[in-house]
Amino acid sequence: MTEGLHQDRAGCGLKALRSLLPVLVILALIALVPLFSPSNRFLSLAISAGINVIALYGLSVLFGQTGILSMGHAALVGVGAYAAAILARDFGVGFWAALPAAALASAAFAMIVGIPSLRVGGHHFVIMTFAFGQLLAIVLTNGGDYTGAATGLDLAGPVTLFGADMSDLTRYYLMVVAFVTTAAVASWAIINSSYGRTLRAIRENEKLAASLGINVGRHKIGAFVVSGIFAGISGVLLAYFLGHISPSQFSSFPSIYLALMVMIGGARLIEGPLAGGILVAFLPEVLNLDPVQSRIVYGVCLIAVIMLLPDGLIGGVVRALRAALSGKPKPETQQRNATPSEARR
Amino acid sequence: MKTVLKMGASAALCLGVLAHPAFAEDNIVKIGVVAAESGSFVSAGHTLPAGVGLAVKQINDAGGINVGGKNYKLEMVKRDDRTDIATAIAATQELVRDVKVQAIFGSETHDFTLAMAKITQPAKIIHFAGNSTLAKILTPDSVKPGGEDHYLFQSEPQEFQRSGSTARGVLTLLEPLLGYKPKKSVMIVGNDATGQFLSSYYFKALKAEGQDVPDIIFYPPDTTDFSPFLTRAKSLNPDIIHFWYNGDSTLTALPQALELGAAKSYFLFGVDPGIWKEKQLSADVPVAMSCVPVCWGESSNPKAKAYFDAYFAAGAPHGVTSSVSLLYHDYVHFLAEAWEKAGSFDPDKTVEALLTLHHQGVVSDDLTFNPTHQVTHATEVCAAAPGGAISCSMQQPPAEAPKS
Repeated sequence: MTEGLHQDRAGCGLKALRSLLPVLVILALIALVPLFSPSNRFLSLAISAGINVIALYGLSVLFGQTGILSMGHAALVGVGAYAAAILARDFGVGFWAALPAAALASAAFAMIVGIPSLRVGGHHFVIMTFAFGQLLAIVLTNGGDYTGAATGLDLAGPVTLFGADMSDLTRYYLMVVAFVTTAAVASWAIINSSYGRTLRAIRENEKLAASLGINVGRHKIGAFVVSGIFAGISGVLLAYFLGHISPSQFSSFPSIYLALMVMIGGARLIEGPLAGGILVAFLPEVLNLDPVQSRIVYGVCLIAVIMLLPDGLIGGVVRALRAALSGKPKPETQQRNATPSEARR
Repeated sequence: MKTVLKMGASAALCLGVLAHPAFAEDNIVKIGVVAAESGSFVSAGHTLPAGVGLAVKQINDAGGINVGGKNYKLEMVKRDDRTDIATAIAATQELVRDVKVQAIFGSETHDFTLAMAKITQPAKIIHFAGNSTLAKILTPDSVKPGGEDHYLFQSEPQEFQRSGSTARGVLTLLEPLLGYKPKKSVMIVGNDATGQFLSSYYFKALKAEGQDVPDIIFYPPDTTDFSPFLTRAKSLNPDIIHFWYNGDSTLTALPQALELGAAKSYFLFGVDPGIWKEKQLSADVPVAMSCVPVCWGESSNPKAKAYFDAYFAAGAPHGVTSSVSLLYHDYVHFLAEAWEKAGSFDPDKTVEALLTLHHQGVVSDDLTFNPTHQVTHATEVCAAAPGGAISCSMQQPPAEAPKS
């Protein structure tokens, strides 16, 4: 009996590991891109997209696993970016030391916002996080010299790794790919942990989960804090990449874009944030769309995804592939969704 | 072996064909432009490539430039930043590293320019931006040889100069139309990076002209209903309401202000008299307008008409801020002159030449850069009388910033 249980767990572990493999393969291929001498424009856009993807992995834990949509996620990225810039300016703290500090700052902000916001939940939480994004932009805009007001802050410090200057575009690109890989693995580890199953149980039926002894409020705040850590790291990478940050980069509109990316890509699958981040970053570039046309396309994509592909683009692709291979469709959600009793196990 | 030889010959032929255009391009000097040709900042953004493009055409039509005894033609390579910082940065990386431009113009958005300078300056690319907020980073230390902004130039006067000349012009032109000396002013300002920066200087300029300025009212960017801000302004009983700085927002706010009777007169920053006429706007009170730096709808500048005739003939649309193109057009000519004087495209020699030249442009017959790489010139202010007659005058900037 015990042996059977061990075999079951080993099988599950292997299956979980197999779900990570496609992302790792894709990221390995992405890491090889510099070998083909891409243009610097491409590398620059890819870095921006990669930085977004890191934040999206955090958002996917919150939205995909817990079912809570934040419309103020860019504000958490902003907290990380401003923490890095202020630490560098006032204390001479460099890139690597800023990473954990900014991640903690964003996580702390997520907790401060999360405690009152998650008491209401649902649509109210969306509104609360949206308001938080706006509020942060107002605070930063009116923060005087400390936040650089509306002009923002400069960050000119070099990024070095083992003595090598990482400011070079190709090196920064590879570094961002490494961070995206870490974020993907971390997100995968959360999804496949008992904690991930607990979050999914809350997502599926909050009341039932609570009746089984799961502390729903604490776990929801925890998920928001975890997403804040991802956002903080994303903010540091952004601040050092641009060399200048300002409040407008972290207002509500960029938050809506982040939510859009994760919804289009698919929040519940490990490939989703990667697909969403790349798609939204490169679609206007490939199709030569201006911002108005882009928004129309994103809007249409979002409607299509909500109506036809509830697991996002990647979920749809996976389902289509499975249907093509086996001859009958098998919704991805069936595999991913956990019941509260499963979570308790 | 034969096959290998054939392949080698084919490859060499292909390389030869590919190499030919590069050889032909030896006499081409590329100038990059990064501007918002789409997105929320398009109004000012589209003027940038239009101004630079016109200057490039004028220079090429006149035979190009002669640098070190060799003739060169200019080529503008423009990129739309879509009013998005990630795209602006990617475009700058492309222009600097892939296209290998000799100089970059733009962008009109302050935050973007600062981030772009992080790429252009280490690469020693001459960078012009018509953005007075650059004063925050252009210091004697930053622009000295080896300094982090040695190759960065501000092609718009320092803000105390522009605010000073604008405030003086507005008050001078409105006084005879009001029939008395205006004493009280209220500012209504867009609450963003540019608005915050500019308004602090304009406030001081108005105070230096003896104005009582009881309040600066900030409105969120993209506001369409100005009634709460206008009601607040009206309660202060001002002689003039100064709408500062976004021309598009101002055109939305003015009809609401006139409807409400918020003040005895108005000043619209960055709205050209040309737009006033084209939109057939009218007011029962005097309305002053200013252009950055010279107006196209009506002007006291003798060179403006010829410039704007050529500018619009080249296909540029009539816009609220078409005159912003002059913050770039003149400096392409200025840069070309600097290259000819330096006899080289070497960025350090070019900077030296730019700092010593006195250039004859459209905006001024004597354009020069000060030691911190900032230009000085007059600003044009116009006023529409209640009857519709418009008068304009070029206002010289104050020599010194007002004491706060």
